Amino acid sequence: MKQALDDLNKGSNSKDLRIGVYVCHCGKNIGGTVRCEEVAEFASTLPNVILAKDSLYTCSEPGQEQIKTDIREQKLDRVVVASCTPRLHEPTFRAACECAGLNPYLLEMANIREHCSWVHLHDRDAATDKAKDLVAMAVSRAALLQPQFELTVPVKRSAMVIGGGVAGIQAALDMADAGYKVYLVERSGSIGGRMAQIDKTFPTMDCSICILAPKMSEIGRHPNVELLTLSEVKEVEGHIGNFKVKVLRKARYVTDGCTACGDCIHACPQLAPDEFNAGLSIRHAIYIPFAQAVPSRYAVDMNLCLNNQGIVACDRCFQACTRKCIDFADQDQILDLEVGTIVVATGVDVYDPTALTELGYGRFPNVITTLEFERLINAGGPSSGELIRPSDRRRPERVAFLQCIGSRSKRSNPYCSNVCCMNTIKDALLIKEHWPETEIFVFYIDIRAFGKGFEDLFQRARREGVTFIRGIPGEIIEDITTGDLTLLGENTLLGSSYRYRMDMVILSVGIRPRSDASVIQRLLNLSTDTDGFYMEAHPKLRPVDTTTGGVFLAGAAEGPKDIKDSVTQASAAASRANILMSKGEVRIPAVTAKIDPDKCSACGLCARICPYHAIEGSKELGYYRVIEAMCQGCGACVPECKFGALDQAHFTEAQIVSQINQALAHSPERKIIAFACNWCSYAGADFAGVSRIQYPDNVRIIRTMCSARVAPEWIELAFLKGAGAILVSGCHPSDCHYNNANQNTAKRVEKFWKRMEKLGLNKDRLRLAWVSAAEGTQFAKVIKEMEQGINKLTPLQIEETKQKLAKRPSKKGEPV
Amino acid sequence: MKYAIYLGCAIPIKYPGFEAATRNVCERLGIDLVDLPFACCPPPTSLKMVHYDSWLALAALNLCMAEEAGLDLMTLCSGCVNTLKEANHTLKKSDSKRRKVNRILEEQNHHFKGNIEVTHVLDVLYQDSVIEKLIKEKVRELPLKVGCHYGCHYFRPPKVMYPGELSESESYVPVKMDHLLSIIGMEPTEYSRKFLCCGSPLGANSDQDAGYAIVKEKLRHIRERDIEALSVICPSCFEQFDMGQIVLSRKFKDLVKVPTFYLTQLIGLSLGMSPKEVGLDVHRVKSKKLLEGIGIS
Amino acid sequence: MTVKIWNFFPREALYECYQCARCTGSCPALEVAPALGPRETILKCLNLGHDEVVEDERLWVCCTCNVCEDRCPQKIPISDLLVALRNSAARRGNIPDKLEIAIELLAKTGRSMIVHQLDEMRAHHGLAPLLPVPIDEVREILKKTRLDDVVEF
Repeated sequence: MKQALDDLNKGSNSKDLRIGVYVCHCGKNIGGTVRCEEVAEFASTLPNVILAKDSLYTCSEPGQEQIKTDIREQKLDRVVVASCTPRLHEPTFRAACECAGLNPYLLEMANIREHCSWVHLHDRDAATDKAKDLVAMAVSRAALLQPQFELTVPVKRSAMVIGGGVAGIQAALDMADAGYKVYLVERSGSIGGRMAQIDKTFPTMDCSICILAPKMSEIGRHPNVELLTLSEVKEVEGHIGNFKVKVLRKARYVTDGCTACGDCIHACPQLAPDEFNAGLSIRHAIYIPFAQAVPSRYAVDMNLCLNNQGIVACDRCFQACTRKCIDFADQDQILDLEVGTIVVATGVDVYDPTALTELGYGRFPNVITTLEFERLINAGGPSSGELIRPSDRRRPERVAFLQCIGSRSKRSNPYCSNVCCMNTIKDALLIKEHWPETEIFVFYIDIRAFGKGFEDLFQRARREGVTFIRGIPGEIIEDITTGDLTLLGENTLLGSSYRYRMDMVILSVGIRPRSDASVIQRLLNLSTDTDGFYMEAHPKLRPVDTTTGGVFLAGAAEGPKDIKDSVTQASAAASRANILMSKGEVRIPAVTAKIDPDKCSACGLCARICPYHAIEGSKELGYYRVIEAMCQGCGACVPECKFGALDQAHFTEAQIVSQINQALAHSPERKIIAFACNWCSYAGADFAGVSRIQYPDNVRIIRTMCSARVAPEWIELAFLKGAGAILVSGCHPSDCHYNNANQNTAKRVEKFWKRMEKLGLNKDRLRLAWVSAAEGTQFAKVIKEMEQGINKLTPLQIEETKQKLAKRPSKKGEPV
Repeated sequence: MKYAIYLGCAIPIKYPGFEAATRNVCERLGIDLVDLPFACCPPPTSLKMVHYDSWLALAALNLCMAEEAGLDLMTLCSGCVNTLKEANHTLKKSDSKRRKVNRILEEQNHHFKGNIEVTHVLDVLYQDSVIEKLIKEKVRELPLKVGCHYGCHYFRPPKVMYPGELSESESYVPVKMDHLLSIIGMEPTEYSRKFLCCGSPLGANSDQDAGYAIVKEKLRHIRERDIEALSVICPSCFEQFDMGQIVLSRKFKDLVKVPTFYLTQLIGLSLGMSPKEVGLDVHRVKSKKLLEGIGIS
Repeated sequence: MTVKIWNFFPREALYECYQCARCTGSCPALEVAPALGPRETILKCLNLGHDEVVEDERLWVCCTCNVCEDRCPQKIPISDLLVALRNSAARRGNIPDKLEIAIELLAKTGRSMIVHQLDEMRAHHGLAPLLPVPIDEVREILKKTRLDDVVEF
């Protein structure tokens, strides 16, 4: 730290630099708010800047060409681009630098779009001033950048797919067909997922299981696919190219000699609701999920089996099995897999409408959900495809569908579930096809028939006599003698109240993230959006990637989608994974930690804190060193070193200190210094920009890879420079992208708070906030609150902080 | 256990029997009541709709009287509890509204502090210690199929009436009266449209007949479950059912009437009070036969 | 003339409404009388401005049961909206006669019921006479809150 400051003050390595600055208008996105010419002119006055230009689109071909030409002709040795977030175009400009012979790590970006023009839309002066500040910060950091060389790691040519629904099946097949080993991990006893439960698909009215079953059997016999059913992922370690996975494979109690003859089930005395039939029928403790199940093998539900106490109390199934395939001694197993890539296709749950008491689901037998309807009308279902109502097994003559149940609601799922409109139309047509005289009413708010062939199907339903009524019933009343249902509501297009008597009501329930989606989320360090679905790395340009390298998304786990979209996305995810596996190697960013052996006292604190055990050494050896291939570049170890022996490549002490100094060069008392981690909080601030959420313009965001990189010395320095307030922000605890490295963040901030408290300082000026990539509003809210705090500050308080913090300088050997 | 009893207007003036029953029940169950010179609550159906500021200030006056006596308020009416609970909640929460109201009240030497709670007699009786006492003290059971009607203002909107008690996703549905009545041997019976309004405010503000049309709809569902008695916790709901059935029976000759009771009347009966003592003699729909059927006269 | 009602109610909340009609579907007033209903009220506020609404007599056909708010999937505080609109309507003279009379009585006596031979009736039930309302205080407060802008008393 001290060394870094000295370096900076001497400016030893910043002599004779040739920095080029490019200010991008991004059309009107930046240029509409920030006066880019003025910013470029300002930039040209900064130290070491030999040229500064503004252009309409710097990321365009001519824009990039300009940079390349300038590097060659003007002998630029550092490039600063002031444009959008580095999370979007850093790779673009790095490639341009590299192409012109400049080390890509000598590029620095100033985020004047997401963090400036988009969040200060209505104040041109303030936005322009802030942009200048951001450019100045970038230029001072650029002066201290060093060339870095990326390490190449091998990619294992094998993949794991989590979830055996149609998306998982498709992804597994695409990768297996490309020649890679695929482990397909499925929690239940068979692959097939939701699609296997559905009777027909829209808009083509194909038989769902008929088109799915061939794909399922293909998985079953594919030489490259290892199918792991009744299995769950328990642990994931490692990184892109080399994940070490532990999978729990639960005991099936039925060996692979099983021919699915079914002799055992009649012998079994234990019964339970059949999940596959949405609870509308019963199954035995020994069961096969459904007729077309793959693997086509029975399994024993040990929670239900009489032998669940560990002793064989009942062996009727064993006696009934002629091939003697039942093995009560079977045990759970932990499998160790090594894979290069992972595809997440964990699917969705269905909304439970019991909470909407006015609709009577759960109390009135003739109110059912769409999933229950799918099983009722399916030939393999509990009624063998006969449409009957549960109360009296009579065929309903008047059927109502209620749309948007649990969707588009602040009381449940705020989003549109995407598939329900077309699913209802398809279901209505199915009823019409089998029993044309049935009267069908669809109560809706908006019919969203946006896909290929959807509008046709909608019109067909209307032509075939399905009545569409705009207005969701407010209440359903059951006739206690007949079980008939009366729907009360308002037809909003006619502006009149209605009262309809129905034989059966089908609630078109929405879909929602798996209730245990957070398990996989944590194992793989995924982000979730505000609705709880897994978040893609970029909504437009990297729609199947995640922020965790080597992990891809497929199917509805990423957001509600129909079968076609799930399959499309699965193939895309497989293709992305195939690229990695076919290349066989991947470059990892050169942001690793480094230990200066001359300064290292071999205390070992850093090794203890490293979440990846990437630091080795001992007191006896007299040194510690970083194993570069294992270091993930969080930087959590750096602030831990009391001797200044550690530093992180590309996020060095000197670089960040220069940013802090520059940010606080003018009116520091008005400024908020915000340290934001690359994965969550910086992305969250980006999201605030994308969403155009306006917040105060006095915040200066400094990016680190992980919030654990933030050193208490930085906080102290900023306060000594007179900063009004400081924000340290990172991923939510347990969502950290570096194996919970951010628990160190909390510890260090708490320590600093204690110090401030002891000195009698207002500790509200240092704030710790967890902001996820989806929480743009939260980021803006935090900044607004901090701004209010700053408004109450007096110059006296700032001076007091400076003096008190300076009085007790951090002694060597004692952490602050 | 001590409360300031907030009688409201309708109960002491129109249905003193409810008041007598409530005072008697409370005394027997160890609840002390203190009388204060309260004004009209004022109703959420009238003054609040016409002039919110006046409604809030007048409610604050009532709250201040209880604060000055250092007592929580126990109301007997769903309307009163709605007004007083909401006003209390609003004034505690909003600094600006509290300042505005206090500026007016201070001229009358009152100051809203926000240090009491407002509750309804149903909630008071539903406390564990009171229920234990009731189980000990009751002298007879009332084996009747009873339908409960809570009165919308007792529990809606839940964000005001039961802050923190409701889940975000679910419709809030009260159950306390059903539970309490099962303790005195009644058979609380669910019926369709149990939480439909009684229609009283509709009659008061616009159209009496429209209000009674709702009573008719409710009665249909009550009768279909063979419910013999109705229990209410609000004088307006009571009047709507009691008077409404008489009016309706003039028009619909075959209408089967269901006697309506105020909650503490039923509890009073189980504690050994006579029908006359709890004021059943002034009810328009007579319950004499029904009660004789279970040995009460 | 534009009536200020947005002091009472966050107007942005109305934009959440997508006219699903669950509110009107559960409205008891609309079932038996020509009420305006929350859905139409909100739509008119959004499309025609609330002036149109506060002049409509049907605005008062309401049970104030608040079931609409309970059912609203978007959690729009409908009860607050209806209070704000009716307050404005009353200020403009759109107020049902019955209600005006009731409020006049309230302001004059501090009670919303006419007291007549009360003590004997209460004695019949063994009850003491009712404590008198501090009527001067009540009237003073109602004067200060300017109730007489709407209803004279």
